[in-house]
Parts: sequence; structure tokens; C-alpha cells
Amino acid sequence: MADNLPSEFDVVVIGTGLPESIIASACSRSGQRVLHVDSRSYYGGNWASFSFSGLLSWIKENQEKTDVREDGEDWRKLILKTEEAISLNKQDNTIQHVEDVCYACQDLAEDVKEAGALPKLPAFEASDTREAAQESEKESLPVQSQSLGTENCEISPESVTCNDPESMTERKDAEMTSERENLCDAASDQSALETGKTENVSTAEAAALKPKKITYTQIVKEGRRFNIDLISKLLYSQGLLIDLLTKSNVSRYAEFKNVTRILAFQEGRVEQVPCSRADVFNSKQLTMVEKRMLMKFLTFCLDYEQHPEEYQDYKERKFSEYLKTQKLTSNLQHFILHSISMVSEADSGTIDGLKATKHFLQCLGRYGNTPFLFPLYGQGEIPQCFCRMCAVFGGIYCLRHSVQCLVVDKESGRCKALIDHFGQRISANYFVVEDSYLSEKTCTNVCYRQISRAVLITDQSVLKTDSDQQISILTVPPVERGQPAVRIIELCSSTMTCMRNTYLVHFTCSSTKTAKEDLEPVVQKLFSLNAETERESENGGGLEKPRVLWAVYFNMRDSSGIDRNSYDTLPSNVYVCSGPDCALGNDYAVKQAETLFQEMFPKEEFCPPPPNPEDIIYDGDGTQPEDPGFSSSSNAKTEPSPEESSDGDSCKVSEEHHEE
Amino acid sequence: MSMEDYDFLFKIVLIGNAGVGKTCLVRRFTQGLFPPGQGATIGVDFMIKTVEINGEKVKLQIWDTAGQERFRSITQSYYRSANALILTYDITCEESFRCLPEWLREIEQYASNKVITVLVGNKIDLAEKREVSKQRAEEFSEAQNMYYLETSAKESDNVEKLFLDLACRLISEARQNTLVNNVASPLPGEGKSISYLTCCNFN
Repeated sequence: MADNLPSEFDVVVIGTGLPESIIASACSRSGQRVLHVDSRSYYGGNWASFSFSGLLSWIKENQEKTDVREDGEDWRKLILKTEEAISLNKQDNTIQHVEDVCYACQDLAEDVKEAGALPKLPAFEASDTREAAQESEKESLPVQSQSLGTENCEISPESVTCNDPESMTERKDAEMTSERENLCDAASDQSALETGKTENVSTAEAAALKPKKITYTQIVKEGRRFNIDLISKLLYSQGLLIDLLTKSNVSRYAEFKNVTRILAFQEGRVEQVPCSRADVFNSKQLTMVEKRMLMKFLTFCLDYEQHPEEYQDYKERKFSEYLKTQKLTSNLQHFILHSISMVSEADSGTIDGLKATKHFLQCLGRYGNTPFLFPLYGQGEIPQCFCRMCAVFGGIYCLRHSVQCLVVDKESGRCKALIDHFGQRISANYFVVEDSYLSEKTCTNVCYRQISRAVLITDQSVLKTDSDQQISILTVPPVERGQPAVRIIELCSSTMTCMRNTYLVHFTCSSTKTAKEDLEPVVQKLFSLNAETERESENGGGLEKPRVLWAVYFNMRDSSGIDRNSYDTLPSNVYVCSGPDCALGNDYAVKQAETLFQEMFPKEEFCPPPPNPEDIIYDGDGTQPEDPGFSSSSNAKTEPSPEESSDGDSCKVSEEHHEE
Repeated sequence: MSMEDYDFLFKIVLIGNAGVGKTCLVRRFTQGLFPPGQGATIGVDFMIKTVEINGEKVKLQIWDTAGQERFRSITQSYYRSANALILTYDITCEESFRCLPEWLREIEQYASNKVITVLVGNKIDLAEKREVSKQRAEEFSEAQNMYYLETSAKESDNVEKLFLDLACRLISEARQNTLVNNVASPLPGEGKSISYLTCCNFN
């Protein structure tokens, strides 16, 4: 689509991660003309979520970043004598040590293609050839070979054909499972073409014969059911992000589910941590005495500031030491330290611990009986929601749009424009750039930390219960001193991040080594890596570990907490956003976005509620909308609180507001 | 929040190339206007129209692309909870028709598998400039198992019909689904209900 991009804006935002997207939306909301670009073909940068095939191509891209083709420096000619250029990165260097391992049955994997992945059509010419190549690669993965036409839909000016009798059945995912199991087990030498045929086989017998066993083929076929987050986070139900989402009405674009369980790992066992009052009283694992101790301590934490005498002497000591002085069993100390406060045993002080515990407790009960929410379809939805808001207020969006350089006016020292990959010069007053776009030269003096990540697809929950639809968070404390604690978030299929009968398990810690070295020992404690072995006979059932079907490990650069001055020579109207940090919540990103926005526009309100679509009066010569509404945006303030949701634990922040 | 206002609420999402008349269709239907220019929709997320079908009040929440289709940068979240999609092309623009498979790919990828898709060929008032024959479009929509309709937002041809037919289909789907849902396995929103009033906080 050869549409021309305007060449003048107020604000240009480069990168579509969470802080950039919030800033874009805030700027657009306050009336600025915003251009928001990303060189990638997807939203979110390191905050993105991918379908399974999308993740595979992301993996491939990051494993094979070899030839950074220098496209020449033609754009240098476009720089005037009175100007200087700050060139930007052509390639993302924030991901390292990517390693994926498949443990599931892989027989048919080579010929399988994710349902619904259409071939690239000539009608959509990509803007430059390199990207076109990348994109078609993305779409055709994981198949290197062609798909034999099973799923192709073609359309040409002369004839409209669809050689896809199966595509409609694909959508009825529910019934397909048993058929596919049958396939993988029975038909290791069949081609994908035959796959189509065999799918008509009666399902009844197959289902009766085989227990559920997910194969790699199924994972690939059901690939679009997955929304795999690159960064694993949750929303504190009393936190800056939730506040911002509800205040700005951006929450209407997303749906959330409550995390259902807080877990702990002690002496080789996973157990549930009681944290609400009701949980504590109903707990079967705690003795009466323990219940009383825990309640007493937690009640104290809620207003610990009022009782400084209780912890005065431990202010300078570690929280773990302080807990030892309280009337708490070691079991309870473990719960409080690792699962409730989630602070580091080795280096968190008493005040930090008390503060974290208090925050946890305050978040309880707002939406449910744990403090956390998870966005359906993954964390990657959140930046997109802010982008939608920006677009609604006129922001212009361009993915697959890279920027060659920023242009600085020598005399004023301010950045006045950028030059994009077409050589178009786009001018603006403010430039917001995500850290990974800054060149090595700009970042010479910057010191980055790393985050170790693992994502597993597994066949069972780490703690089985009656319901197979649990969302759990578990912190595994370090075995050795100096090691980081590992945070684990297990997602079930109703979070819309993985296919039925699987779980998506996210591991996160701050890196000491490569992700695999940091995390694999913990993975092995909780999971069986040998998916091929048949299960032990039923009697041993309860104790066996869930099996890993597929896993990926990688390190991600943590660019949070970097002093602006450590970037080399950036003009004052260029603002830098960080990539995701290692923390569980999103406060860092929200705070950063608000701070930068206030620096740019000190007099503007940050993301005020938009007018309610139902209250808008349209000017012009036409008729009025059906409901006589209110014209001003200020009285359209409708703070939707997810409490109003009534459908179970899916907190759809309601779109429906009053029509007085 | 009054559920009494309507019997059904549906989210309808428009997609299709830039300039095919998506916004015009919505404004024609919701406001009876044919906007001469663009850009009038700044700050409007979706439009609402409540219609009555067989004595039942159906509230249609109609979402537009907010211009993100211009550079093929629609957010995935846009598709997520749509009950119906109106895939629009311009009958006077071959290019907008040739892009349909790409749009279908996005639908397949991001929309719910229960979504109803309608293919709309807009601008039939410009019959003399037609580039895409009705037959081709019909064949295509049949092959893709979509409903098909040709409209003119300008002349208000078939616009009411488009949305009202869609509303009818959505009602009957919704009825069937509620029956199915009783047996079906987990969907978003299922699970034990939490009463937000019973506070399990410690105070």
C-alpha cells in the first residue's frame, strides 16, 4: 500500500514497547500529532507475544543474526552542512543465547504448517526486499518445505480458487485433538498431504485407545492458540499499570483473569500458599497455631508503619533475619519471604520486606483472592492497547518502518528530524526512542544487566488440582548464595496463551550466566524432560512430574535503570525508553512513561479519560446520534472499575457506561 | 451498566484496505450521514446503535480501524473479542479485492474462531468504475464460507440490511452457543465466580 507518510509531526516515537506506547498514547491524547514506528513487523518489541510459528521465526532470527548488511550510507547525502546525524541500530542486539529444545514426539513435524498461515501474496509488496524475505520466512515457518497445498487459499484476478477443503474443519479445534494424536502415533511416514485425508478418520476409537499425549505436530498445527510472551509479568491489582489502564479507559481493549494460586517450593514439593484470610482459615496444611501466627503477622504488616517499635532494631538487617525473630515457623517464614513479599533472601532489608508484604496484602481482594491479574492473550496485548488509543486520537502507525538516523541541528543542538529507510525526512519537535534502537556508538558507556528467560510448553500443571484451569505464580529460592531466585508463572489454556491440554510456563530471573545455565536446574526440579517415556502405572500417578514438550531459553538485555547521561551525546529533545525490566510488575515502565511525558509536556494531563463513545455529539450537518449525549469530555469521566464485571474471574473491564 | 437496556450486545469490527469506505458505512448506519471528508472520527473508539429485531433490543458496538490499516499496522488486540467482522473492499478498486486473502489471514490468526465474517463490496453507486465483478466476489466469498453483500454508503444501499442481517445471525449464533456452552470445556470467563463485594482483605 503505497500511501504517503506526512513529513511533519509533533512527536515521533520509535519502538512499540510498553513505555513507548504509553507515551505515544498520552501525546496523541493531549492533541499532539504522533508518528509511531517500529522496524519490526510486530508490535511490542521485547514486550511482544507470539504464536508458536511466530516464536519459531523470532528464534531463528535471533540465532542467525550474522550478516548485518550495511545498506550503504546513501542517507548521509541528505544531511546538510549545518546538520549532524546520529545513526540508529539496524539490528536488535538485545537477545542472546537463544536455544530451543523439542521433547515431544516430532514425527510429522517437517511437513506441518500452522493452521491459517497463508502464503505471502504479491499484492502486498513489502517496502524493502530484506524485510520481504524476513516476512515470508516468518509466515512459512516452521516449514522449510512447502506446504503441499493443504492450507493454501489463492486468489487471482482471473479465477478465485480455494483448494482447501480442510480449512473450515481446522477452526473447530475442539474435536481435532484426538485425531491428531492418532496421526502422530500411527503414521510416522506419512506426508502432510495425507494428513489431510487421515483427518477424516473416525475419532471415537482413537480417542478411546490413546491417553492424551500432545505431539509436536499438534503444537505446530494449533500454533495460533499460543501467545507466548517474551517477558513474563503480571499486573498488581493495585499498581500503576492497572490505575493507568482504568483511568485512561485503555482497559476496554483488554480482558484480564485473576491469578488463581500463589505457590511455594519447599523440600522438593510444590504447595499452595494461603494468603487471603479465607485461605488461611481453610488451609489444611497449616496447624491452628500456624494460622494464628500467620494472621497476626500479616495483620501487623498491613500497618507496619504505625508500629515502628516492632522492627526498629532490624531496620538495617535483612528481612529474612527479622522473620526469624517473629513467632513464625520456618514453613511460614518461607511463605512470607518467597511467596508473599517475594524479596531476595540474600539482600533485602526489613523495610523492603515489610513494604512488599503490605503491597501484596493491599492488592488482595480487589479483583479476587490473589493480588495479580493476567491479560488474556498475553502481556503483549497491553502495549497494543495503548497504541490503539493513540491511533483513535489520530496517531499514525507504521510497523516494518526503520529509521536510518536522527538529524541534529548543529547550531541549536536539537534533534529536528529523522530520515527513514525510504530516505524520507520526517521532522518533529520531540523524539522518543527505545534503547535497542540506539547504536553501539551511542551506548559505549552504558552498562546493561541481563534477564534469563525460559518458556516451556508442558502437559500438566506443577500442582494438580480438580480444576485444570489455574494460573499460578511460584518463586523458587536460590540453592546457593549469590544465585537469583527464579520466578515461575504457569498459564493455563483459558488465558488464551496456549492450546488445550497444555500449560505455558514462564521462568524469569536476573542473569548470572546464560539463561539455560541459570534456569535448567530449576526446570529439572519441577519437570520431567523426557517426554517419550511412558508414564508409570496409574498408582504412582500423583507424584510424577509434568513433562516438558518444548522449551526455549534466552537472555534478554535489561536496559532499565540507566542514567540518561551515560548515553553519548543525545540532544535534549530525544528521550530514551528502556526495554522490559526483570520485576514482576510493570511499575517501572509506567513511571518512566509518565516522567518522560511530563518532561515533554509539563502542563498536560497524563492520559486523561477519553470521552465516552456513547456520549459524543457529532458536529456537522447530520442528525444526532440516537442517544442524546454530553458533549464535553470532562463529564464523560467514567472510571470503569473491573469490580463491575460479573462474569466469573474474567475481569472484562466494562465498556458499558451509563446512558442517562 | 444496566443490562435492562438491551437483550443482546455485540461487538462488530470493520476491516479492509484504507479508503474502501469503512467509516462511511458505520456513519451511514449509526448516524444516517455520509461524511464528505475524512478525519471526523478523531477520538471515537466505536459507535453504538441499538436496533430492535423481533421485539428484542440488540445493541451493536461497531469498531473502526482508527486508521491503523493505512500502513498495515492493525493491532491484534483489535480483533480479539469481536463477534462479527465486516471485511470491506471497494468494487472500483481491484487492489482492495486482491488484498482480501491477507485480511483473512489476519482474521484466522487473531480473531475468535466463532467470529462471523461478512464480505462487503462497497461503492456500488460508482457502477461505471467497477473493477471487481459481482460473480468473482460471490465465488470468493463462497469458497471462504462468508456472507456477501454489495453496498453503497453514499446512497444508503443495503447498509441497513447489512447490519440488521448480521444482527439476526448473531442472535441465532448466540442462542446456539448458550446451549453449547453448558457442555463445553473452559472458555474465558468460566470458572468459579468471585463476588467482589466479599472482601478477603485483611482489614
